[in-house]
Amino acid sequence: MTGPRQTDYRVAIVGGGVIGLYTAYRLARAGAGRIVVLDRGSYLSNGASGRNGGGVRQQWETPETIRLAREAVEAYRRFGSEFGVNPWFRQSGYLFLADSPAEVERLQAVHRTVTQEGLPSQWLTPERVARLVPGLSTTGILGASYLESDGTLYPFPVVWGLFEAVQNLGVEVCLGTEVYRIAARDDRRLSVDGAHGRLDADIVVNAAGGWSSEVARRAGVDLPTRPVRHEICATEPLKPFLDPMVVRASDGLYFSQTMRGELVGGISVPHPEGLGPGMTTSAGFLVRYARAVLGLYPALRDLRVLRAWSGYYDESPDGLPILGADPSLPGLVHAAGFGGHGFMLAPAIGRLVAAAALGERTAELAPFAPGRFANPSAPVRNREKLSLG
Amino acid sequence: MDTSPAADPGAAPMDPAAPTILDGWPGGPLGFRQRSIRYHRPRAPFCGRGDCTGCLVRVNGRPNVRACQYRPGPNDRIETENAWPSPRFDLGRIFDLLFPRGIDTTRGLLRPSAARPLYQRVVRRLAGYGRFPTPTVPSPPSAARRLEAEVTIVGAGACGRAVAARLALESPGPTVILDRTDTGPGPAGALRLYRTTAAFLPPPSATRERPFTLWAVGPDGEGLRIDTRHVVVATGGYDANLLFGNGDRPGVLTADGALALAAGADRPPFREAVVVGGGARAAEVIDRWGEWIGAVVAPGSIEPEVVARAAAHAIPLFPRTLLLRARGFGRVTGVDLAGRGSGPTFHRRTDAVILALRRLPNAQLFFQAGARLLWHPRPGGYFPRLTDGGESSIPGLWGVGDVAGDPPEDPIADGVRVAEAILGHRPSGEARPLPRWEPTELEGYVVELAARRRSRGKWVACACEDVLLHEVEEAVRRGYHGIEAVKRYTGLGTGLCQGRYCLPDALLWLSVLEHRPVPEIGYITQRPPVVPTPLGAWAGLPEPEEESS
Repeated sequence: MTGPRQTDYRVAIVGGGVIGLYTAYRLARAGAGRIVVLDRGSYLSNGASGRNGGGVRQQWETPETIRLAREAVEAYRRFGSEFGVNPWFRQSGYLFLADSPAEVERLQAVHRTVTQEGLPSQWLTPERVARLVPGLSTTGILGASYLESDGTLYPFPVVWGLFEAVQNLGVEVCLGTEVYRIAARDDRRLSVDGAHGRLDADIVVNAAGGWSSEVARRAGVDLPTRPVRHEICATEPLKPFLDPMVVRASDGLYFSQTMRGELVGGISVPHPEGLGPGMTTSAGFLVRYARAVLGLYPALRDLRVLRAWSGYYDESPDGLPILGADPSLPGLVHAAGFGGHGFMLAPAIGRLVAAAALGERTAELAPFAPGRFANPSAPVRNREKLSLG
Repeated sequence: MDTSPAADPGAAPMDPAAPTILDGWPGGPLGFRQRSIRYHRPRAPFCGRGDCTGCLVRVNGRPNVRACQYRPGPNDRIETENAWPSPRFDLGRIFDLLFPRGIDTTRGLLRPSAARPLYQRVVRRLAGYGRFPTPTVPSPPSAARRLEAEVTIVGAGACGRAVAARLALESPGPTVILDRTDTGPGPAGALRLYRTTAAFLPPPSATRERPFTLWAVGPDGEGLRIDTRHVVVATGGYDANLLFGNGDRPGVLTADGALALAAGADRPPFREAVVVGGGARAAEVIDRWGEWIGAVVAPGSIEPEVVARAAAHAIPLFPRTLLLRARGFGRVTGVDLAGRGSGPTFHRRTDAVILALRRLPNAQLFFQAGARLLWHPRPGGYFPRLTDGGESSIPGLWGVGDVAGDPPEDPIADGVRVAEAILGHRPSGEARPLPRWEPTELEGYVVELAARRRSRGKWVACACEDVLLHEVEEAVRRGYHGIEAVKRYTGLGTGLCQGRYCLPDALLWLSVLEHRPVPEIGYITQRPPVVPTPLGAWAGLPEPEEESS
């Protein structure tokens, strides 16, 4: 692990996942000056960027998120040409299954919102679901929202492509460099203490994923995000049998078949909030996931689980990301609270956070302002609840 | 859910003498052909113990069944997989021949961009071994079981049985012993669960009376949960791989495979084999098949016990010799060897290569439970750190026998020693010392091999996923250092064998490529389960009442 080569930077980005690296890339392309990325992990993608299911979708409850997601899908389509690394972005759709009248109502609202945003979302009957996913049991399925241009990718190459591109642009990426303290200096700049020693920066970007509230705390500010552990597993590889990502929002079940043939998926398990003992897996998850998958897909009974792992969702109070300058510590910019879909939105987030870091004021950032939770008397409504898959 | 320890499905195990699919295969077990996942390279049984991907078949519509373990009935329908028109003459082999350096799926296949959908279809088709399951015989109902035990012994070999037998003298509480094979009658006093595989041992929960929960899969794919106060890991060892050019060719197999694949036969599945290794395991192979061994090749020196046996059969010895490459378009027809220290390259005809040089522990349960493991440089593997009494760094988790290190001189005494420590008759004792890290013969061997490596033939670093050695080298060159990064960059270690046959070599090679000792290369997190475990087994279990995080 090599530490930073300098002690003085224009921007220090805490977190070398897809959000931090996309932000670094946008900043470097904008000629923002010396940039360093600090990551606590000893290897790249050790956080959520290397632990997600690779889904990229544009079906959301809020138009704000849909717009970010559309931009991200376009960026991932071009990613191979732009970065020379192949993320195998496969646009074979996202299927949201509704298994109760309430879910039908909610997903039809999503379907309408997505359609209003100009995307060719479809509402599928159970018969069409069965045709799309042969072998799937549609018992209890009342309908489904489907958008063919959603898809899945292989997350690692995205991180590698960015990692190499930012380094070619002169950005330093330092692994194994946990940040311990961020403090204001007398000259309105920030000092960053960590495993690397100390460095100074005009701007510090908090892109620490599940550790974002902890990093904020180390800067002496409050960030209302909370890490929630989610588990996921992969099975033995089979020849292609499943095209779309299948999601059942009522219990948070999702699965897709990767380019490598593995069925990768997860389900919500109530874990206590917080960073806890680490990114471990539980038998309870495997039991719950297996039951849910086999309920939908009985033919997979003999399909064998190869490995299970977990990572952190970084949840925000209203389900929308928290992007922009911290209201209390000048120079600190947050890129946090992605609720398990940071990878889906990262290309757009990188652009917005880079703009925020450079002090640009754009109306696009307004819905995501960190200050929106400042008024304790205003109730926070969870606006974006479609946070799985 | 049956919670009574009285029911004992393992008491009447399936006839261990019944032939497996491979036993009855035309041309013998090594005549079986399987095709690899990406390049459709020819493969044959390699490990003989149900861990590798050398003998996958489709049985009654179920994909990826290990032919070496399955004992078929008269009505079973057995089909080959991932090959057309047949595994012996498979057109997919064209990918192996057209791409001698492999297909770069990370940076290649991007241009022209209009062709990407086509590339995606082709690459997707190449992935996976078997097709979607279409079971023609319904799976037996899998009633999950739950057991409670004082001591749970994983592995019913000599050591595991000795532990059970010694415990039975004092009956400290219910004892369960489980084994993944059909190992014959078990020790009295213990509940025997055969053809039962331990899958997941999370870290213990200190607040419970029985802190450990072991999750396992029974003979009919049923899930099993055992809550227990002690876990004794007696899972033994396995013969590791050794990387060389075309080292995945049919006819290359481990000593485990050489001993198991023709266990009951009067002659081996080869005419003249080269044994690789100069220690106790090589001696065992010569004891069994000496008449059919054509040479003994060792990376380092050859022990007297092997020299004596070789002399009896007039087998030539090649100590301090590099194994460079296997020859043969299908099955191996010979090996290229070279004396170490820039000795000349020479050729030796053979129809099998038996890897009998490194026996490594089946230590996955220790990893899962969070016990401390140490790199042992001589065999080149990670071993649990145990006390004299056999206790790991986690109280209540014990190791005995081969899993603890070199094979014990007296397995019975070893088992008794650990049982007595569990019973409290003797102190658990201090941690046993392991050698400090230092460059060893095996690492020096890899250094020389790396220097003399030629590109003829693929060097397959991970056979399950068809990852090539030069992909590992490229990862390092591009700045992805350490096993965790390289695993993600190449996919090495993520296949059906759960990394058993690629990781030990990958650690040695990374140590050489990155110029740092193996402990700095790290080790991948041993993700549960230990062995591929059916969704149906998990689904049959009740949800745990508490989180085992």
